[in-house]
This record gives sequence, structure tokens and C-alpha cells, in this order.
Amino acid sequence: MIATILQRLVQMIFVMFGISVLVFLIFFATPGSDPAARIAGRNAAPETVEQIRHEFGFDRPLPVQYALMMKRLWVTQDLTSFVNRGQKVIPQVLDAVPATISLVTGAAILWIAGSLVIGVAAAAMRDTIVDRGLMILSLIGISMPVFWLGEVMNLVSQSRYHDTWLFSWVPGLGYTPLTASVTGWFKSLVIPWITLAVLYIGIYARILRSNLIEVYSEDFIRTARAKGLSETRIMLRHALRTSLLSFVTMFGLDFGALVGGAALLTEVVFGINGVGRLTFQALQNLDLPVILATVMYASFFVVAANAVVDMLYAVIDPRVRT
Amino acid sequence: MTTQADADIAATAPTRGKGGRGRGPWATALRRLRRSPSAVASTAVLLTVAVLCALAPVYADFTGTDPFRSNLSGKIEIAGEQVAVMQPSTTGLGLGVTPIGPTWNPAAYLLGADNQGRDVAARLLYGGRNSLVISAAATLICLVLAGIIGIVAGFSGGAVDMVLSRILDVLWAFPVYLLAISLSIVLLNSSIALGPITITAGSLLLPIGIIGVIYVPYVARPIRSKVLALRRSEFVLASVGLGLPTHRILLRDILPNVMPTLIVFVPILLALSIVTESALSFLSIGVQPPDASWGTIIQDGQTLLYSRPMVALAPGIAIVITVLALNVLGDNVRDALDPRFKIR
Amino acid sequence: MTSWTRRPAMACAVAALIAATAPASAQTREELMAEHRGGTMRLVAHTAAGTIDPHINYTSQYWQLYQFVYDGLLTFKKGAGIEGAEVVPDLAEALPEPQDDGKTYVFKLREGIKFANGDEVTVADVVASFQRIFKVSGPTSGTFYNGIVGADACIASPADCTLEGGVTGDEAARTITFHLVQPDPEFFFKIAVPHASVLPASTPATDVGVDPIPGTGPYMFESYNPNESLVLVRNPHFAEWSVDAQPDGFPDSIVYDFGLTDEGEVTAVQNGQADWMFDQPPTDRLAEIGTQNADQVHVNTLTAFWYAPLNVNLAPFDDVRVRQALNYAVDRDALVGLFGGQVLAQPVCQILPPGFPGHEDTCMYTKDPGTTWSAPDMEKAQALVDESGTKGQKVTVIVEDTVVSRDVGTYLQSVLSDLGYDASVKAISANIQFTYIQNTNNNVQISVSQWYQDYPAASNFLNVLLSCASFHPGSDASVNISGFCDEEVDAKMQAAMTQAITDPDGANMEWAKIDREVMEKAPLVPLFTPKRVDFVSTRVGNFMFSNQFQWQMSQSWVQ
Repeated sequence: MIATILQRLVQMIFVMFGISVLVFLIFFATPGSDPAARIAGRNAAPETVEQIRHEFGFDRPLPVQYALMMKRLWVTQDLTSFVNRGQKVIPQVLDAVPATISLVTGAAILWIAGSLVIGVAAAAMRDTIVDRGLMILSLIGISMPVFWLGEVMNLVSQSRYHDTWLFSWVPGLGYTPLTASVTGWFKSLVIPWITLAVLYIGIYARILRSNLIEVYSEDFIRTARAKGLSETRIMLRHALRTSLLSFVTMFGLDFGALVGGAALLTEVVFGINGVGRLTFQALQNLDLPVILATVMYASFFVVAANAVVDMLYAVIDPRVRT
Repeated sequence: MTTQADADIAATAPTRGKGGRGRGPWATALRRLRRSPSAVASTAVLLTVAVLCALAPVYADFTGTDPFRSNLSGKIEIAGEQVAVMQPSTTGLGLGVTPIGPTWNPAAYLLGADNQGRDVAARLLYGGRNSLVISAAATLICLVLAGIIGIVAGFSGGAVDMVLSRILDVLWAFPVYLLAISLSIVLLNSSIALGPITITAGSLLLPIGIIGVIYVPYVARPIRSKVLALRRSEFVLASVGLGLPTHRILLRDILPNVMPTLIVFVPILLALSIVTESALSFLSIGVQPPDASWGTIIQDGQTLLYSRPMVALAPGIAIVITVLALNVLGDNVRDALDPRFKIR
Repeated sequence: MTSWTRRPAMACAVAALIAATAPASAQTREELMAEHRGGTMRLVAHTAAGTIDPHINYTSQYWQLYQFVYDGLLTFKKGAGIEGAEVVPDLAEALPEPQDDGKTYVFKLREGIKFANGDEVTVADVVASFQRIFKVSGPTSGTFYNGIVGADACIASPADCTLEGGVTGDEAARTITFHLVQPDPEFFFKIAVPHASVLPASTPATDVGVDPIPGTGPYMFESYNPNESLVLVRNPHFAEWSVDAQPDGFPDSIVYDFGLTDEGEVTAVQNGQADWMFDQPPTDRLAEIGTQNADQVHVNTLTAFWYAPLNVNLAPFDDVRVRQALNYAVDRDALVGLFGGQVLAQPVCQILPPGFPGHEDTCMYTKDPGTTWSAPDMEKAQALVDESGTKGQKVTVIVEDTVVSRDVGTYLQSVLSDLGYDASVKAISANIQFTYIQNTNNNVQISVSQWYQDYPAASNFLNVLLSCASFHPGSDASVNISGFCDEEVDAKMQAAMTQAITDPDGANMEWAKIDREVMEKAPLVPLFTPKRVDFVSTRVGNFMFSNQFQWQMSQSWVQ
């Protein structure tokens, strides 16, 4: 077990190293990205640009620059942004985490609850009109681009119907920290939660339904029926419990990716200052230190979620050790 | 050691290359598809969308507008009156200029105009063409790459598998948008030559390549585990034992058994590609103006969301319809070909 | 200037509004102060504008704030409209007379002014501040302050900068003496901008980033987090010494929040959650706020222009006929529409903006050439293109990835296609577009850019944008994007700058001629002069707009 964990750790470091090197190389291959000229400002004299280049070390060989940057990111932790000079990168990322966690956790609660209800209902009423309808709805949820759904939500709640009782409570776009105002926090996130959850409700409900239907054909359900247990009890106590394994696995992967910043589009559309939006802004500004920090942060969560899920799976279901 | 995939193999009897195909699984699958009303309906929807988009030039001709040319000072006739396509505000301080809204008349500006005074309906059709072409090509690239990587990794095992799997991990966690942004800037003044293909800025090959590559891990992983299982199955072990050359085993034993999985991915990938293409274009990395795709039209519409929501709504609805049809078809294909297959 | 890079700004002087925004003159300043002093002013912007260091930051967003946080020896008057472009003494007692044919200036430092940390401003602080401009490699150190004796050595080796023989102080007499390499008519302007702010001598000689430096104005920065907010509070050591240079302010504190979207900013101001938005309201919302919130909107002219630099060293724009053709073909009215309509922009076909020194109404690229632009002349344009034989060539327009810039580029692409070129347009991130289009290695043929004044002098447009000295092939810092270098024009610009020292009016007439002469060679396509929309909450009173630094927020009240 310890060997497996160690192996996973090595793999994780390899992946993060690979990604950071790739990002670094791509950055320096992009014309116009030269940070010296951008830091120097408009209409700067060429001598000033040279001075800045030297001061920031942009005239040193790339491997040296990479090593220095990694050292400042991990060891001394004083790496600062190229755009907002003097702003340390690590606190910047950490500051963005609460907004992302708030968004993702709320959406996760919604999508788990939503998909459980829809999945169980559809499986219980399998092949009826209700089942068909629910599955079509789930498919529609999967088919909508999340940024477009977000825009439509904004259109409805901020503009068209903002003056009606239905949406007059919706605050302007943006995130209110939980520490500032609990109700403000809640109100500012309700619409983003729904928007982000729709896709996952669709996916999870469909998978849950097919798992449940599969489980129903297995022996222990028949045994349970023979014992005279009620249908509700069979569904909730036996079938659902068995089906939750793959459900949990998927949830681990998706949650990890979202906490890592995969909710980028939702955060951008709703102006939530989370990790995804930070990544997006850093990309737009080609702000290398912030890009590196956010990308490594994201890859950490993606890879870690993968590892945790794999290990859990191996523990729960020994068949899967490949 | 056994795997989930082993169980799958056991359930669907392995197919061998040539012998014994006849009315094999493919024909059966096709027959199943034809019998499913939802499969037929979704195919019909997809065909309709494709035909409509292919007819884009005809529609543009009919309306008499050029969907790629700015028409900022143009006028059109509505109910006998000349109306400006771009209408300056006349109330209050007179700030702002708003494009004409939907006329609901197919002859001109059915869905209104965008910021450049261009006919949104005509652009929607042209945009659909690009969106469909990009997603189809990206799907093809993705399947070929993922097939090769998955088979090689799964069949070789050991160090090769290890390296390929880690590369897939890197790719999976890689910031796609960074790659896209810098590629599109790098390509501005230099083109990348990949053998006979030259990719230049604004070329559709750019979004095609990017989308094709980023979904490789998504497909390659299940393929790998399937091959891994096949590799240990009795009939492959038998082939190896008989001393058949590797390429023959791959072609005759592995590929035919991997094919259904790849085919199952086709509609799913098409759907994903359409959505991804629109996201890339929405972040202005994909299709370049004045060319259009559904994503770029949504982006144009984003700046008009409050005054002319139709510009953003129409392409979004087009995406939802197309992707929905693809997903329904995808379900059916999966049921027909590989009922026990699970994505993720 | 440079500063407006972040996003297009605009503004204009609608007659009715001027009346509405003029300070109430019935009451005296003291009475108004007693009535309205206090409260918190809440400002919002999409993003922060980088380092808070006044020697380094080069954005209009923060220059606007530095007006009431930092002082230089001189400053721009805190007044409305054109008054705001006048230079007045600030930390110096008076505007010095030029000595030694304009190569020497002696400033006398006022007494009793204190920094926010309680220390008195001394001659040593002033001298150290000018050295610091070079020590931190300030963006304008090589362009504004390179005329000071000893500046060359400082630029070459910033760490050991002394400006020996250039800036010297006399503690006893409280004087600071400047020696220039040659007379400079714009010297006063250059030391009145925030880059020449006087800071404590103890300030570290590196970019302070997010740690504010104490200043001398009525407010000081209390805290700064570029992802959240910037907070200004009253400077406890401030005592008003000149109403023109540095008047006391009305609000007790000013909170600047970052991170809202443009749409969110509009909503926040409408709901009274914010008092002002820095960003231009999205074009989509203009009609709405112009109607529903008409009395909260202030439109003022900016001394700036949107233009399309044409690379005179690359085909097809290496042919003057092609450049002229495009100038004839561009429908400026259409572009004005893209920016928000007639009220928000004015079509132009010359370089110096309306109302700027040296500006004379003229337009040669229009249907009936004369003083103003009326309509595009497609026939003439087509004829010129035919003559040049460049039809069918490939042209790529490089624009910023912002709404208006992309729209302008798409329109230009359409015009170029009409003229027979194989045109395309490419939007790249706003943050790198400006450096990208400057570098000749990137072979940019035509792009879309904007230029905003640093200070009111014709050379700030013509000499900066089109002189040989600002063209640096192969460098990302080459603000002469067109690569236009004409020795004859260069000589005339030098002459005009020399003339300005003794005869500013005569020089301005020369600049008007140079403007026309340059436009005949058409190294760029002037598009329009933007106006700025300031959208304020209902509680903001005494809105005052200076041509130099725009809204003077400290002079408005919120209660």
C-alpha cells in the first residue's frame, strides 16, 4: 500500500513537472509575450527595457529562469506577478480558493441531490413516460454549453425578468465572501450553482439510472424480493447502495477537477473571483508566474483526485487492480 | 488478476478478424439502430441540420446580404418603410447604437442583425457549417490518435505503457486555453508545417487540432484497459503462443474488438467537440472573424445580450438541438454495439 | 499616453450636461465643505492597474488617484475642463523663470508640508525622488527625463544614479536646481505628471508593488490588494496650502473595489452600491443608462484618438497611394456607431485631437475635402488602389481582444475586402497586442490602436508617434508603430519644439502644418476621437472633469 502511494506521488510530481515545463516553454515561444517590454510600459526607451530585462533576469538561459522561478514558487514562496508587480502569487491563488470552493461545493450538493432524485425516480418507473421525460431532460442538460446557459441565466435574472418578484432578489454579478455576509454569499451564488450543476445532474442521473437497472437484475435483489421486502426498501437499502460505488468514483474525479479550476467558464460568466477566473485572467495577460501557479494547482487536484479514486477503488473492489 | 474489461470481453464474444463475420455484430447493430425510433429521429434531425448548413450560400443569396461584410450604414425596407440596420438611440442622451432586431421575415434579417449589421440567420447557417466540419474532423483525429496510443500502451505494457500513461495524464491536466492562445499568436506570422499540411493563422485546422488532441486521454484510457484485458484473454494468448507476428495479432485480434468502443465514441466526441469548439470561440481562440461558428456568434451576441438577446440565443439553441440529437444517437449506438460499455 | 490601454475610455461635452456638472457657485468653498464633507466614496473597476508605485505605474486608472495622494514640484491645476491642463506650482512656491536660455530652472520648496508618515518634505527628498525615477527604471525615465544632465549615466547604470550636475539641492536656501542638456518646452509638463512625484528619501529604490508609499496629498493609501480593493483614507498630516494645486477633499474615505464585470458595475451604480465605475459602460447598456439614468451620466471629450497604424515598410502599405486609398475609404460615421454613436465619438481625419494645442480643423480624406469629414470617397479610393496595382494582396488586421477594437478591425477588414484585398482580421489579448504590433519582427501590416495624451503638447502625439527617434526596429518598445521615419518631417518637428520655448503660439501653427504634411503621407488612418462616459450614483455631487486627469473625485461629495 505504501509502495502504491509512493508510486502515485512520484507520478504526480512527474505530471506537475511536465506541465510546468510545457507551460514555460510555450510562454517563451509566444511572440509579444516578452514580459520586459510589457513591464517597462508604453513608450519606454529601449535602454529602460534592457534594464528591466536584466533586473528580472529575462536575459538568463531558460533552464536557469525555470529553476529560479520554481525555487521562488516552492522554496522561498515569494514569486510575484508580472502584471500586478509586487503581488505574491501564492496568496493570490489561496485568496481565490474560497470562492471556487463555495461555488463547487454548492453545485455539488445540488447535483448529488438532483441526480439521486432523478436517477432513482427514473429507474423506479423505468420505461414509463416519466422515465423517458426525465432522461430527455437530463440529455438536454448535458447538451447545453455551460457558458451559454450562464448567459441565458444572466439574461433572465439580471435583465429581462429582474424586475419581477421571481428574480428581484438576485444581486449584481460577482461574489460576496461568506465572511462578509452570509445571505449575500448565498444570493450571489444561487444562480451560478444551478448553472454549474445542470450538466452534472444530467450525467449523474443517467449513469445512476443505468446502474440501478443493472443491479435490479442481480440475484441479491431477487432474494430481497423473495423475502418480501418493500420495493422502496429494496431500492434505497440495497440497489442504491450497490450502485453508489461508481457514483462516488465519478464524483471524486469531477470534484477534484472543478476545485482545480475547471469551473473556469462559469466563474468567467458570473464574474466570480475564483481560481478558474484567475487562471483565465492570467492567460489573457500572459502573466507567467500566475499561470504557472494556477496550472500546477489545478493539475495537483486533477492528478490527486485520480490517485485517490484509483486507490479507493482498489481497496473497495480488488478485482480492478490492473 | 481479472478486470472489469475481462468481464466485458466474456460477455461479448470476441470477434476474430476475417472468419465468421458474415452477419456479424456490425450488421446486427445496424439492424438494432434502424428499429429504434429515437435513433431514427435523431439521425433525421442531424441530417436536417447538416443539409440546412450546407445550403447556407443559397440562403445568403436569397436574402441578398453578404454575411461576411459589415453593413453599418445599410438600410432595409420593412412594411414599405426604409429602416436603418444600425439604429442610434433617440431617447434620453442618445447614447448607443443598436442593431435591428428580428424581423421574423425570412427575406431579410429573420433573426436580426449583429454588431456589424450582418444578417444573423445567414451567419448561423454558415457558422453551423464550420462548427460541424470542425467537430467531425476533430473527432476523426482524436479517434485515430487515441486508438493508436491506447492499443500501443495496452498491448506493450511495461515501460511503454507507463510513459504513455503519464503523457496522457499531463495532457489531461494541461491548460487547453493556454495552448490555444499561444498557438494562435505563434501562428500569426509563421505557419506550422506538419508534413504536407501547413497550418496558418485563422485556419480551421487550428481548433480542429486542439480539440482533436485534448480528448485523446478521454478515449485512449478505456481503449487501453480494454486492450490490456484482451492481451490476457485466451484467444490472444493463443495467437501469441502460436508465434503469430505482432502486427497480425493487432490487426486480427485486437483492432476488431476495439472498433466497437471507438465507434461508440463517435457521437459522444462529436457532441463534445461542438461544445468545446463553441467554448474556444467564445473565448475568441477558435474560428477567426469575419468567419463564423456557433461559438463566435454567441460571443458576438454576448455584447448584445441586453438589447438583442436573439443573437446569442439562436446559436445556443442550434448547439443544444444538434448536441442533443448526437447524444440520443450516441445512446443508441452504444446500446446496439457495446451495451455493457461505460464511459468514465 | 499609455495609460488608457486597459480599455477604451470615452466622454463628451453635451451642452446641457456642462451646465448640470458645473460646481455650484452660489455657496463658498467653506460652506460646501461644512455641508458635504465626510462619507465613503465607493469606486468599482473590472481589474486593478498593477503596482501602486507612482514612479512606475503608467495607467490612467491610478494616475487619476495619484492626483490627490502625491505631489510634485509642479502639478496640473485641479480645475474643470481646459483649466485642468494648466501647470501650477505645488510643492514649489512658484513657477521658476528659465535661466541660461532655458537650460536651468531653480525651484524653491514650500515650508511646512508633511508626508503622511509625519516627516517634513525636505530638499533631500526631492533630489532623491528624481534619482529614484532612474533607480527603479521608470517607464518614462528614458523618454521624459532623459534631458536632465546626468540622465544618460543613470539610464546606463540605474543603481548608481546620482544625476550629478543635473538635479542639485541646497538645504539652507530650500532650492532645487535642474540643469538640462538642451532647452525643453515641455519640461514643466514632464515634472507635473505623477512619475515625478516627490516621495520620502527613505523609499526603497525598487518597485514597491502592493506596499503603498506615503505621499503629501489629502488622502493616503491605507491598503491595497489587486484582487480585492484599494482603500484611501485622509492623510492626518495634510493641511491645505493651495486650492489650485492640492485642495482638500470631501469624502472621508474612498474604497476602490476590483473584480466586477462591466455589466455588474453598471448594475452596482444603478442600485447605488457603487458611486462610479472606471470602465466604459458596455455598448449594450448605453441606450438604457442614457435614458433611465440620464442625469447620472457625464460625457466629456478626451484628448485622444483611435487610429489604425499602417506599416509604411511593408506591402501593400509601403505605397502611399494605398495608404491614402484606405483613408478615403473608411466610413468614420460607421466607426463612431461602433463606439456608441454621435454623442460618444467624433469622426476625425487628422492626428491632433480637437481642442488640442496645434489642432486646426482639416480633413483631406473625405468626399468634399475641407475642414470636417462628411462621407467616404470609395471611387477615389478604388482608383488609387487600381493605380498602385496591389489588388489581391493579403492583408491582416491585428486588433485587441476587446469589443470595440474587434468591431473596428472587422469593419476595416470589410473595407479592405471591398477595395480588393484578401483581408483577414485577428484579435489577440489586449495585454500583449500593443507590444506585438510594435515589433517589426512580427510583420504587422495594419492594426488598431489608441493614443491618449500624457500632457497637452502637440509633440506628445506627432513627435512621439511618428518621429524617427521612436522607431526601434526589432524591439517590442517602438511606439512609432507605422515605422514612419521622414527626415524632412523630423527636422520640422525639431524646429517646432525649439520654437515652442520662446514662441508657443507660433510653434502651434507649425504643428498644424506638420499635422497636414504627415497626413498627406498617411502613415496611419485616424478614426475617431472618443469621449468618456462617467456613470455616477445619484448621491455624487459636484462632478468636475479635468481635461488632464478626468474626474476629480476628491472634489465631489457623496453626502
